[in-house]
Amino acid sequence: MEDVQVVAMLVRRCIAGDAAAWEEIVQTYNRRIYNICYRFAGSGDDAEDLTQEVFIKMYRTLPSYDHTKGAFVTWVTTITRNLLVDHFRKTKQDRVTDSMDTVAGEHEDAQPLSEQIQDQSAPPDAHVRSREVSETVHAALAKLSPELREAVILRDLQDMDYREIASVLKVPEGTVKSRINRGRAELARLLQRTYRQVM
Amino acid sequence: MPDQTSNGMHCNEFDLLITDALDGVLTGIALERFQAHARSCRACGPLLAEAEAGRNWLKGLIEVEPPASLVASILASTTGVDSQRLRVPVRAVQPRISRLEHVQGSISGFFEPIWGMVRQPRFAMSFGMAFFALSVGLTVAGVKPTDLAQISLRPAAIRLTYYRTQARVVHYYENVRIVYEVESLARQVKRNVEPAEPGLRNTRPAKQKDDKNDTTQQPEQKQERNYSQSESQVILAAAPVGPSVNDLPVVSVTTYRRFV
Repeated sequence: MEDVQVVAMLVRRCIAGDAAAWEEIVQTYNRRIYNICYRFAGSGDDAEDLTQEVFIKMYRTLPSYDHTKGAFVTWVTTITRNLLVDHFRKTKQDRVTDSMDTVAGEHEDAQPLSEQIQDQSAPPDAHVRSREVSETVHAALAKLSPELREAVILRDLQDMDYREIASVLKVPEGTVKSRINRGRAELARLLQRTYRQVM
Repeated sequence: MPDQTSNGMHCNEFDLLITDALDGVLTGIALERFQAHARSCRACGPLLAEAEAGRNWLKGLIEVEPPASLVASILASTTGVDSQRLRVPVRAVQPRISRLEHVQGSISGFFEPIWGMVRQPRFAMSFGMAFFALSVGLTVAGVKPTDLAQISLRPAAIRLTYYRTQARVVHYYENVRIVYEVESLARQVKRNVEPAEPGLRNTRPAKQKDDKNDTTQQPEQKQERNYSQSESQVILAAAPVGPSVNDLPVVSVTTYRRFV
């Protein structure tokens, strides 16, 4: 995805005071960081503010980047994730979804979840094509717990491999895979409920 | 997730292999075992279906476009935040300053911390409170601001003002009722304690100087001391101290009157 040598040179130039190098870094990574922030925070305004904060922090701590310890994109994603966690703690967003380990309550359907998924009248890809469905999925993603949300965002939206995600989240790879599975499954349950209510 | 074994695979192992299976990296016997477990386990089968559905939902999400002004605002904010880092330190040419400006700079440098402290709100509040207390005190004391203009600062005038003020204070003090009553009471007590003949009191000190052997000023018990009695001897209150009337010698006096 990124040429390590090119990025290392870019960082060195930026540290030396080359404004053009810094602008190139901003141009390269702003879209990625904005999308992570947007999917995690759920709001465009928050995402814009958080993206600016990420770049400000990156600009200040750029000399601390060591290309021998990891890829630049992993370093950038780690900064983004840490800021998002801080933002989440400040805003105190409560976890809305239930854990997969919790027992279903009385209000839950007695129907098995696998059958609920199978009740879909159309495959998910068909729904996602429309803008409304995309917004629905985005809203459901915002309802996931932050641990599950960040894991599925980094894997399914940013295409990071498990080792990189484990490095960013500072958890073992097995935990990363488990969180991704649970996040995907909870998202499917939430969307299934939504579409059952609509239908 | 319950830790059950089905078709030779634990549910925890199955959980870890879900991502590999969905990514298509699980092949061969491992894939067969995985599929067999998914078919037989009532917990893991639905989990696999949900995970696959959720992944498909997420893969369908398109990447959003950041605002057009985002890059410009990032560059502006970062450049503004750490502009000193990029700035090369250049030794600026010092302009020539005169001796007067140098002294003024020294004075301002000396008073700058004081002025900085004075400008603090708490100092202003303290000063305000002190000014308020002073103005209230002067108002209660009857000092008017118009009187201040008439004050003469000549030494004689200051001395005169001092004596007048002192006299006024003494006059005020002596006219206080409680002071007057206490003083009159003290005078009355003193008058009762003093002897009736005031002339004797005046002559006694002169005599005392001349006659050093006079013991009249000593306590009376020393004069009435009974030397034949020891101090431990008990003296009854009812017993007569001196000789009784019967013990006294009878003295007969004969008077011869001469008739001329």
